Amino acid sequence: MGNHLTRLKFTMAAVLASLLLSAPAFAADWLSLQGTEPAGSAARAKIWGFVQPQYTQMDGTKLKAGPWGGQQAIFNVVRPDNDSESGFQLRRARIGARGTGFPLDSNVNYFLLAEFGNNGVTTSGGGSVKLTDASVTLNHAKEYTRLRFGQFKTPGSEDGLQAIHVHNYNNFSLPADQLLLERFRDWDGVANCLVPADGPLDAEEAAWFLACSGGNGLNGSVGAYRDIGVQLFNTFKIKDGMGKYPWEISYAFMVGNGNGIARGDNDDNREFYYYLSAGQVFGGKGARRQDWKVYAWLQDGKRTLLSTSNIPDSGPAPPFFEPDFDAFEVKEFDRKRWGVGGTYRKGKYRLYGEYVKAEGMLPNATDGASIGGAVSNNGLAVSTFNTLTDNEAEGWYLDFGYKVLPNLELDVRYDELDRGTEGAAAIERNFERWTLGAQYFFNKKSRFTLNYEFRDTTASGAPATPQTIVSGTDDVLTAQVLVIF
Amino acid sequence: MRVSRKYPTWLSVLLASVVLVANTLAMSVQAAEAKPFAEKKVVLQISDMDPSKQTLVLNVATNLIKHYGPDKIDIEIVAFGPGLRLLFADNVNVGRIDGLDKNGVRFAACSNTVKKMTKLLGGAPELNSHAVHVDAGVVRMMDLIDQGYTLVKP
Repeated sequence: MGNHLTRLKFTMAAVLASLLLSAPAFAADWLSLQGTEPAGSAARAKIWGFVQPQYTQMDGTKLKAGPWGGQQAIFNVVRPDNDSESGFQLRRARIGARGTGFPLDSNVNYFLLAEFGNNGVTTSGGGSVKLTDASVTLNHAKEYTRLRFGQFKTPGSEDGLQAIHVHNYNNFSLPADQLLLERFRDWDGVANCLVPADGPLDAEEAAWFLACSGGNGLNGSVGAYRDIGVQLFNTFKIKDGMGKYPWEISYAFMVGNGNGIARGDNDDNREFYYYLSAGQVFGGKGARRQDWKVYAWLQDGKRTLLSTSNIPDSGPAPPFFEPDFDAFEVKEFDRKRWGVGGTYRKGKYRLYGEYVKAEGMLPNATDGASIGGAVSNNGLAVSTFNTLTDNEAEGWYLDFGYKVLPNLELDVRYDELDRGTEGAAAIERNFERWTLGAQYFFNKKSRFTLNYEFRDTTASGAPATPQTIVSGTDDVLTAQVLVIF
Repeated sequence: MRVSRKYPTWLSVLLASVVLVANTLAMSVQAAEAKPFAEKKVVLQISDMDPSKQTLVLNVATNLIKHYGPDKIDIEIVAFGPGLRLLFADNVNVGRIDGLDKNGVRFAACSNTVKKMTKLLGGAPELNSHAVHVDAGVVRMMDLIDQGYTLVKP
């Protein structure tokens, strides 16, 4: 079975390579679909949105080793609450409006969308409703470029840029989820969060425990593949003299805060985004039109957070040590991402693939892979989320869909991620996943999606304890209903 | 230095009236001559803000041509009020309008609406090259009805 899977992976990798290098392919023009309105034909305010109730089921395998052994594993609980291995949730519930405020003038349009569901956007940063998108596009020089201001999806990976309500799986690919769906935290998670022993705490210790005992959770909403800034973009259609099908060339350049959504910036650094795509349109229009394209993107910026440290020879007992408060310092860290990919959709067939590379800041697991904020079995330390402040990761996915019936599509996706590939082998983790899926379309605006994820995580360069811990990664079953209105 | 010459107001009005009358006459001649073998005559009204109405009126015109054949039916689409957006030069349906024009469909743009929009926009809207100005959209429809056209408002 192992050899068979390996051969299949090589085959899929070869298909991805050929897709990227020799037979370029892609899907909808998301820059235009999300940032513009049809000229002379847009509504003053088109109310729209979607609802995504979901059921998730895992075995709930507990941590097999480590200081939190026997407790819940962070990778075997349902996000964002991290309380249970199964359950119903309102994954997303969004409502918004888009159009041209003054319909006689197609040169100005807007896009507004708010999230009411239970997810990383709404559960952090206060309030239960968050604005995910609020932007204005100026099209006065649309022969050359368009200008979009505000908060919106950044030009980048197809997995993040595409509209979520036409996403073919209930969960994002591994590279998109771990490397691109940014979680903002206050500090790097290096210093231990020790439970105060008997006796009075000095002011520094008390302040530290107050800050760290929350587990270094999210500081505000997850990034949701969005930023606040300004974007130059456009799509050019070339119809004549270029073969049977018209070509489309798209570009985007964006400058943003690099600090996520629903808040301002926390430093003077700016995030820069670059995007370029080319492809052909076979027919149709909108998010599920028949087409192919290839694309490349780059995201480059810095993050500011508290760098912490321990005093290795001091503390209650390894692996816990006293924090070295003298070494605490607010620092800037590079965060760079880039990727290439392609998609193809024609007739009954659909094929997507993408490679993603990450340099600089990366998210890392919680202490002992426990739930952030959980106290270790010996009562000495609180688990916190961690960040690799200067490392690398890479991942890719290949996704194939086939419509066996006009209203039933079967899907299979392979994705993998190698995280922490630089420096000590002990910190590297390798994630592999096969996802089998089915999408049943009740009509054009509603569908049922069933996914089963075979997950496999290894830590071959790490000591025995981390290897044992990650071997307990469960498979995941998700069932989701979507209605767009 | 650009010198602007001022004409008497009555001359401007006269010129505008002549242009409108000429346009109207031209449309009448077109209507009479463009489809000499037409067995059916239809005037389609587009006056709504709703973008889906634009698609609908173009669909109706397309379907009528498919059903009767381009030589057997005479179609004129009259746009006024918010519906005039269909005949804006940058309208997203410009390709479909080109196609219908090739099949002999005529497009009439209400001058009253154009004047109103000119005030709102601070300048005249640029119209599709296939659009022909008529004095008033509703008057144009009534004239066509008098000539035996059937009015359809999708």
